[in-house]
Order: sequence, then C-alpha cells, then structure tokens
Amino acid sequence: MWYKLTIPLVMCFAMGLVAFVHEFVPHPWAAAFREEMTTWFRIMGGFAMFIGLYALLHLHVTRIRRQQAGWAYSAFVFLGAVLTIGAGVFEEIRAAVRDVPEGAFSPFDWLYDYVQVPCQATIFSILAFFMASAAFRTFRARNVGAALLLVSAVVVMFGRVPISEEVGRMLGAWDTFPRAADWLMEYPNMAVKRAIFLGISLGAISQSLRVLFGIERSYLGGGS
Amino acid sequence: MGAPPTQAALRRLAVTRRIIYLLVAVAVAVPSFCDLGCEFKPSPWVEKIFKKVESLKPGSPILLSFDFDPAAMEELYPMGLALLRHCFQNDLHPILMTHWPGGVGISKQIIEKAAKERDKLPGRDYVFLAFKPGYSNLVLNMGESLQGAFSRDFYNQPTAGMPALEGVRSLKDISLVVGLAAGATTEMWIAYGRDRFGFDLGAGCTAVITPDLYPFLNSGQLIGVLGGLRGAADYEKLVKRADRATKGMQAQSLTHVLIILLILGANAHYLWRRTRPNEKG
Repeated sequence: MWYKLTIPLVMCFAMGLVAFVHEFVPHPWAAAFREEMTTWFRIMGGFAMFIGLYALLHLHVTRIRRQQAGWAYSAFVFLGAVLTIGAGVFEEIRAAVRDVPEGAFSPFDWLYDYVQVPCQATIFSILAFFMASAAFRTFRARNVGAALLLVSAVVVMFGRVPISEEVGRMLGAWDTFPRAADWLMEYPNMAVKRAIFLGISLGAISQSLRVLFGIERSYLGGGS
Repeated sequence: MGAPPTQAALRRLAVTRRIIYLLVAVAVAVPSFCDLGCEFKPSPWVEKIFKKVESLKPGSPILLSFDFDPAAMEELYPMGLALLRHCFQNDLHPILMTHWPGGVGISKQIIEKAAKERDKLPGRDYVFLAFKPGYSNLVLNMGESLQGAFSRDFYNQPTAGMPALEGVRSLKDISLVVGLAAGATTEMWIAYGRDRFGFDLGAGCTAVITPDLYPFLNSGQLIGVLGGLRGAADYEKLVKRADRATKGMQAQSLTHVLIILLILGANAHYLWRRTRPNEKG
C-alpha cells in the first residue's frame, strides 16, 4: 500500500511545505520557482477543462442511454456542444486556408450573440419574478429576529433605488433612506460578514494543516 | 410537521404567484413607455473609483478584469461600458482580460463598442488579452511577467512591444485594477494581486455580491465598489453619459417599491389573521 498511501502523503506534504516556504523567501530562485510552478498549474488547468467536458458529456450520455426523466434535455447539451465546437473548428480551418475579411460572418460569434447571450440573460432576469414571489410568501414578522430582518430588507431595498431620494426630498432630507441603507451595510452587515470570513479562513487553515500532515486523507479516495 | 397544504390552498398559491408575476412584469415595463424622472446622487464608494481613474495621467495603463458571462450582463455590461468610456475619454490605455471563458464574447462586445465611439485601436490605445485558464495562478504569473502570461492578445498580435503596453512589464507597473465580478474573483484579486503587487483595486459586482465586499472596503483593500445596476447608473452619471443602467434604475425603483408593498401587505394580512380569535398564524 505504500505507493497508494505513503507516496501520495509524502508528495502532498513536500509540495505543501515548498509552496508555503517559498512565499517567505525573497530570493530570485524562489520567484523563478513560483513562476515555473504557476505556469504548470495553468497548463494543468487547461487539461482540466477537457476533463470537465468529458465528465459533462459522459453524464449526459448515461442519461440518454438509460432514458432517465428529462433525457431529451441531455440531447440538447450534445446538440449545443457539437454546434459550438463545429463552428469554432470551422472558423479556425477557414482562417488557416484563406484570409478572412474583417466583419465576415462568424458562426461562432452568431451562436454566442444570438443563443448564449439571450438564453443566459433571460434565465438570470427571471430571478426578479421568483424573488418577488418568494419575498411575498416567506418574509413574515413571526418573531423579533424575523421582524428585524424584514425591516432591514425593506430599508436596504428602498434606500438603494432613486425613488427613495425623491421621497426623502419630500420629507426634507433627500439622503435619509440611502444613509439608513448605507449604515445597515457598513456596520451590522460588515460585522457579520467579517465574522463569517474569519470563521471560514480559520476553518480553511485548519483543514489545510490536516491535509498537509496526513490527518485528512479523503482526497486519496477509497473510503477510510 | 404541519398538515400538508390542501388542494384549495395550492390553487390559491398558484393564482397569487401569477398575479405577482404580472405585477412585476408591469413594473418592469412601465418605465419603457414613460420617464419617471427620478434624480439620484452617486454613492461615495463609486465616486472613489471615478476619482482614482480621473487622477491617472493620459497614457497610463489600467487593468480591467471582466469576470462574468452573459448571465450577469444586465448589471455588469453597463458598468464595464461606462468604465471603458471613462478610460477612453481620459486617453488611458485599458488592458482588458477575463477569468471566465464565457466572458470573452461579452468583453469583446463592450470594448469594441467603446473603442469605436472614440476611434481607438487595439494594440495602440488598448489591449484585449481575453481569457486564459489559471485563475489565481494566472494573476501570480502576471505579477511576474504580463507578456509571459499573455504572449498574444485576442487578435493574435504579440504583446511584446505593443505600444499600449509601453512601460508595463508586470502587474507591479499598473497602478489601478478594476475587477467586475459575478463570482468570487474580487477576493482572488485581493489575495493574489493587490496584496502582493501593491496596485489599487476597485471592484464592480452584481448586487447580490456587494454585501460581501464591505469588510474589504473598510480595511482599505478595495478603494471602492460599484454595486449592481445602481453602481453602474452612478458611474454613468459621473461620466455624464446616461445609458441603459440609468434607464434600468426606473424599472428597479418600481420593482423594489412593488416588492416592499407586497411584503407589507402580506405581513398586514398575517398579523390580522393572528389577532383573529379562532385562527392561528
């Protein structure tokens, strides 16, 4: 088992130690090493994209083969992938064999501009409808905590839009609501966010140390 | 566990939901037909980024990282366009890149639109580096050598010797970076870019991410933030060029007011039901 357990653990510890130490060494060797390492990480990142593509297609092939519920959507994934990859490959070949004038029709750009952009923008925009419905159904002043959350949400929502400044002008001070919203964001919100970030960071440090010292071994796979 | 909802309750919920969707649609559509004319003042955090860009001398490089895809374009497209217009207006040399593969097309649209308005040329007046994988490692590489990390630009021209990159060898030679993010790239720019290489960092992000950035504003790690569509509208106001974000503020104003009224109405109904003698809330 040493090649399945001991070697990966030693490699992990050694690389973690090197990555940690070279951060504190201002020697040019350390800078050169860092540049070399980050270049290799990026190269591996490029290959990871292929692995991601393979995993995605494999998942959808399985769904189609088993005819799981909604398998027809998986066919669309293939259609989209084939069309987009085909358009990209076509353009590369076209550019290689002849000069393409500026402004020439680009099927890849067409797919991006007229399929991907409207689809993604539409799906994100639909959130406004869901959020309005969810806010109506779930924001209830059931107790003091919920009432505080409700009031904060209303103040921030109102203070963030120009109409609050118009209402403020009518009341004599245009910035009443924006200032109240800013106060909520800059004090209570910031304090809570900072506490959450500190907690996450401490957790990440302890988890990293567990991995470095071989206490946490789940990344090796194979259960316990 | 409470009792499962009855058929009648589910039907009522479906009808209510449809009415809400219709109301939101009306609230979004109304400003397209009539101008509500709401005036607003830019927020101080937006003004700080504007003033920093203003303080740069003509020809100075400014790195813009458009880390979003079309899903976030309603908020970040106008923000990016306003920033680029400001850069070109002041004859700065923007260097544009993205950490998101899906962001290349949208970044290209924005920079080509802004460049066309002022007859700016790639390589001479601006650089479009587009996408490379690597995320934080790419930023570390750029901190060592920009030309090493991006040997060619989007238009396949070598970055070495490019007039717009004159005097820029790495991130250490750039005094301002503004990252527009629909994800966690702002934190990455802080940890792997700003804190190591010493440039000023401004952020632009979708409204939902903005609250996460306040600790970094308070600590001075961010000089300012453009938050959501309002941040974009504020910047449009500062560059004196009202566009789609300013227009969008009217729809957003109405929608926010509608949601507030819905919440207040629902709570009034809830409290009324709770105070009725024979019903529980």
